[in-house]
Parts: sequence; C-alpha cells; structure tokens
Amino acid sequence: MIEKGRISYLELALIMYATVVATAILYIPYVTSQHAKRDLWLSPIWGSLSGFLIVMIIVKLSKLYPGKTLIEYGELILGRTLGKIISFIYLFFLLHDTAIAFREYGEFIESAFLHKTPIIFVTGSIALSCAIAVHGGIETIGRCATIFLPIVLALYILIYVFLIPDLNVKNIFPIMQDGIMPSIKGSIAPHAWLSQFSLMSFLIPLLTNQQKVMKWGMFSVIASVLTMVFINLGNLFLFGGIISNLYFPVFEAARFISVGSFFEHIESIVIAFWVLGGFVQLSSFFYMLILGTSQWLTLPSYKQFVLPIGFLIIIFSVWSTPSFEEMIRGMGTTMPFYFLTVQLLIPVLLLGVAVIRRKRSKSFLP
Amino acid sequence: MLLLCLTSIFLTGCWDRTEVNDLALILAAGIDKGENKNIELSAQIYIPGGSQGGQQSGMSNGSSSGQSFVRSAEGETIADAMARLQEELTREVFWGQNEVLIIGEKLAKAGISDEIDFWMRHSEPRIRADVFVSKGRSKTVLGAKPELERDAAKQLRKIVKTHIGVKVTVKDLSQMLSGESAPAVLPWVEKLPPSLMDKKKEIPIINGAAIFKEGKMVGRLDDKETRGILWPRNEIKSGMITISIDDENGYISLNLLRSHTELIPSIKNGQWSMHIKTNADLEVVQNTTILNLFNPKVIKKSEQKVADEIEQRERLAFSEVQEKLNSDIFDFANEFQRKYPQIWKQKKDEWNEIFPQVAVSFETKVKIKRNGLATGKHQRGVEQ
Repeated sequence: MIEKGRISYLELALIMYATVVATAILYIPYVTSQHAKRDLWLSPIWGSLSGFLIVMIIVKLSKLYPGKTLIEYGELILGRTLGKIISFIYLFFLLHDTAIAFREYGEFIESAFLHKTPIIFVTGSIALSCAIAVHGGIETIGRCATIFLPIVLALYILIYVFLIPDLNVKNIFPIMQDGIMPSIKGSIAPHAWLSQFSLMSFLIPLLTNQQKVMKWGMFSVIASVLTMVFINLGNLFLFGGIISNLYFPVFEAARFISVGSFFEHIESIVIAFWVLGGFVQLSSFFYMLILGTSQWLTLPSYKQFVLPIGFLIIIFSVWSTPSFEEMIRGMGTTMPFYFLTVQLLIPVLLLGVAVIRRKRSKSFLP
Repeated sequence: MLLLCLTSIFLTGCWDRTEVNDLALILAAGIDKGENKNIELSAQIYIPGGSQGGQQSGMSNGSSSGQSFVRSAEGETIADAMARLQEELTREVFWGQNEVLIIGEKLAKAGISDEIDFWMRHSEPRIRADVFVSKGRSKTVLGAKPELERDAAKQLRKIVKTHIGVKVTVKDLSQMLSGESAPAVLPWVEKLPPSLMDKKKEIPIINGAAIFKEGKMVGRLDDKETRGILWPRNEIKSGMITISIDDENGYISLNLLRSHTELIPSIKNGQWSMHIKTNADLEVVQNTTILNLFNPKVIKKSEQKVADEIEQRERLAFSEVQEKLNSDIFDFANEFQRKYPQIWKQKKDEWNEIFPQVAVSFETKVKIKRNGLATGKHQRGVEQ
C-alpha cells in the first residue's frame, strides 16, 4: 500500500461531498435552468440516481477486492494488459476531470474578481497550495475537510438566511408546468457531477474500518443532492424567472445580501470562504489522480509525482476547453455523457466481469 | 536569503493593485438619451477629501458642498460612455458602491431593455441598486443638493426606503422586463420646488411612478394612483388614511400598521378574473369628530369606511393602469400561470388582449386595532 495514512467514515463522506458540491453549486443552477426553468430544483433529485448507483457498484467492487482501488483491481479482473488499458483510460479521464475542476475554479474567480489576471496564475497558485496538502497525504486532506467544510456548509445556508426578506416562495409555482421532461433534461449536469462518486474507490481502501462504507457513501450522496436542491431553491426564490440569465446565481445572491444597510457588499468574504471548499475539492482530485497514477505504474511512493502532475494538470486545464462559454455549453451537452461513460461504464464492466469470474471459479473448484 | 527571494515572488501578486485613492467611487449614475450619440451617462462621483471636515467637527454641519460632483459623457452604449468618462478622470471608475440608477424620461420612453444588460452583465455594478425615472434629464437630478442628506443619491435611497412609493432594484426591474409583455413600474423623480429656506436649492423627491410596457415608458401615475398600486403589489408598509363618516363633521385619521394582499386568479367560462383580497390593521391617531371610538358600532362603521377608501384607491389605480396603459405591473400574468399553467400556455400570446379584459374584484378586511392613548375632547357617546 502506497498510502500509510488512514481516514474515518466522516472524513470520507466530507471529502466526497466537497469533491462534488464545491463547483456544482456554482455551475449547476445555470446549466440546469437552461432546460428545467422553474423546475431546476428537481433536477439534482433525478441526478441522485447516478450517485446512488455508482456508490453501490463501487462499494460492491471494494468488497470483492478489499484494500484495492479501481486501478489495482482493474488488473486483477481483466488481466494485466486489458486491465492496464482500462485503468489508463480511467486515469486519463481523471486527469481531464481534475483539469476541468481547476478550470471551473479559475473561470469563476476570473469572472467574479480578477478579470485581468491570467488564469494560469489563479489555477497555478491554488495548485501549488493543493500540492502541499497532497504531499502531506490523505490524512492532511481529511483533516482539512473536517475543519473547512462545516464553515463552508454554514456559509451556504447563511447566504440564504440573510436573504430571507428577499425570497419569494411563490416563484416555485407552477411545478412541472411542461411535465417531467424539462427537469430530467436539466438533470444531465447533476448526473455528471454525481457520477464523480466513482472516485470513492480511491478512498475506501484508506478507511480504518470498512463495514459501514455503504451507509456513509449514501449519506454523502444525499448530502450533496440536498445541498444542490437547497441552492437551486434559494436561487429560484430570489431570482424567479431571470435565473436562467445568471451565470453564477450563488455569487449574485451573495452580492445581493444587505442586512440593515451596513451588512452588505460581503461577496468577497463569501468567496474567500468558498475557496476553502474549493481547496478541499481540488486537493482530493489531485490526490486521487496521483495515487492512481503511482498505482498504475506500481511505484513505491507517490510523493515525487506531486509537482510534475500538478504541472500537467495546469497545462491540461488550459487545454481542456477553449473558453468559458464553451465550458458552460459542454456542461449541458457533451460532458455529462463523457463523465457517465467513463465513470459508470468502467465500474459496471469491472463488476460484471468480476462476478462472472467468481461464479466460474467457484463452479470449477468445488 | 532564500526566504527573501521567495517572498518577492508572492509580492508580484500586487501587480494590478488599486488603492482606494486610485478609485473614483460612483455613488449614483444617470442615463439619458444623448444629443449626438445614443447614450449619455452621468455619474456622481465621491470626493474623499470632503468627508474629513465633517469628521473633525464631530458631525456633518449640513453643508453638502464639495462632497461629490457630477460628470457626464456620451457614447453608443453605457460601457462606451463609461470609457469616455474615464478619459476625463484621473482615477479609475469604480461601480461597486453605486446604489442609485436614474433613467432620464426621454430614454425611458425610447426603451430601457437594452441598457439593463450592462447592469446585469458587468461584474461591478450591484443588482441591488435602486432604479428611478426622472422627469427631464437625469443629470440635473444628480446635481441637486438636498438639505438633510449628503447628496441626491442618498436622498433618493432614503426616500424609497420608507416605502411611500414603489421600490425597484435592478434585479426586480430585470425580473419584470423578462415577464410576458415586459411590464414594469419605476418610481418617478421630480424636483421639489425651491424650498422657502433657500431659493437656489432644489431637492429631488418621488412623486408617483412611471409605467412601462414592452420595455418602454407608456405613462405615469400621480402620487395618489401610485398608492393605489402598492396595495395589490403587496408593497405598502406605512400610510395614513383619513375618513369622514356619513353626516358627521370632522375626520378620523388612521395609521396603517400592517397589511397583506393576496391575488386570487380564476378562469370561469373563458372569463378571466382576479380577486384581490386585502387584510389591513390600522390604529387611530386623530379623531376630529364627536364620535366615541369605544362604541363597537362606530368602529364597525369606520372599518367599513376605511375598506371603501382603500378599494377606491385601488380602483383608481386599476382604471389608469389596466384600462388606459394596459401594463400588467401587478404580475397578474404570473398568478394566472401559477394557477392555470395549461390554459396559460395556450393563451400566452394573447395576454395583451386578455389583460385589459380581466375582471378585477376586491375584498378588503380592515381591523382597527387601537385607539391611541387618550382623547382630546369630550365625547357624545359617554354622556348618553
């Protein structure tokens, strides 16, 4: 085992939560509202199906191959050559996914605050600080998650608590005006985000004990979905019909806060706290990528990999998408299918083959 | 040594810093139809030095001279005009503190939908800024020097906060304009005639509202009619209602404590109608009649009278807005859509013809909660 550190159930749930939610709350309201309009709050609920399904498959696989990650049991299930190829596809996807996460972070900071700073400085500096956390190992990231996420979570809720006087609950009606389809169409982006629960496969072997992993994995999915629903509802109550015009409704909501005409203009503080969540998210992506790569190459340690791969991520974050608009467009069209293909199909394939092999070996050896 | 070298790397993070004294803080902005070009942007810019005098003397002595100034520039769009404005200023224009946006009458009549884009899209202006329409050019409003407040921007913001008239932010305006037939209502700014104290001073006040349709200003309501639209919009927060009862001499004045209005849409046999249900609580603050307000009959009668008064105000507003201007500023469209989504989908395109035909009915429940602390005169009821 390359990683010596161990994490608890809570840390696993929190890391997965951060991995999914941090950028989801920024981009999902816009992308889902393009199709779902007023029903955008329903979309994450449909999206949760992907999350539950993937958690089930991943937990099943890790029960069959305890102490192994997806990269390792891929080889055991499919044989050395085919396993390496499949693992490589998954790893390459993970690199792309991580790069997109960094780009999402960077694009948001750019649009909101640092218009003139080259994006590479924004992503580069967060990558550097993530690299320190990753070098510290999974325990460092787990601690960061337990310390930072309660603050971030409180922040998500507080934004809308401060906005209560401006919220108009009536904006939710009529529910499902055009039937169920718009909200399902809108749910492809939440599907993409929630499919990232396949990354749990890297964390399960690091748990101190693993009996209740299914429960905690599901708990994490539910928490992520509830957060998305909450954020979508909050934005809908605040902005009503114009929600589909705002690229970052959460940010606009934070800018809108004004309590007693002195507690206002607080978006800088809000975003400073949000960056904490972003940091946990990016560190865990980064960490899983590095752990996976060194397992694929069967190296004794991953530490010397941190900076080179960090550099690769930054380069990929520039390559992955030509512009902000293309990225947003991709989120509503191609990206979800790409994400689901890799993150759902590969685990399903592995599980299928593994189960068949088990049955055969049992029937051959009485 | 190495540490020193490392810190110098991080110091480069300050490469595009802007200190407060490099910024020109815009307190209020006005947009007008330009003379040569499309848009004339006027900005009220804060002069930081001005506030020091006030701090030293412990409080502002009321002289608002020299705390801000107004500059304007023309351009094809707001952003273009802003760039031109920047050329005349030594400091960088900063919109983050801008909380008032005034639209000139001419531009309002030509249409404002295109200009709102700037306020939504640009990352500096706040979508919580209050929006107004001014009689004449917005520039003259910005230049006014009110007595009690620092400048015209502060003056307008404070007035609108009292909820005497409508209060509309950029967000609200954008929401209204995105509705069916893009109706909108904005507070109408006029100048109070020069006050008796000082003939040179002119103070902007809110006097009624401007009504928009399809993003263009189509008319305006006077102060009384504006009060009437506040009830159905559920925006009324305070108010004084004075009634007289039948053949009695004198009046009873009541202060509004709280009110809540519900819009109940219904479609029966193709007839669209809207039931406006208002609940209001009031307290008596003056009674110049000789009626005893402890008499339940009197209370009942005055409650009925107040309800009639409120409904009369609402009717007045509806006759102007619904019949003459045909602008759905009460958000009827959304109410119908919420209750009858399927019918709405078919009839959406005909909304402009349907809206004037919507039958409006009122139901007002008034409760007089308190009679005040004491009475100033003898009462008939006691002697009987």
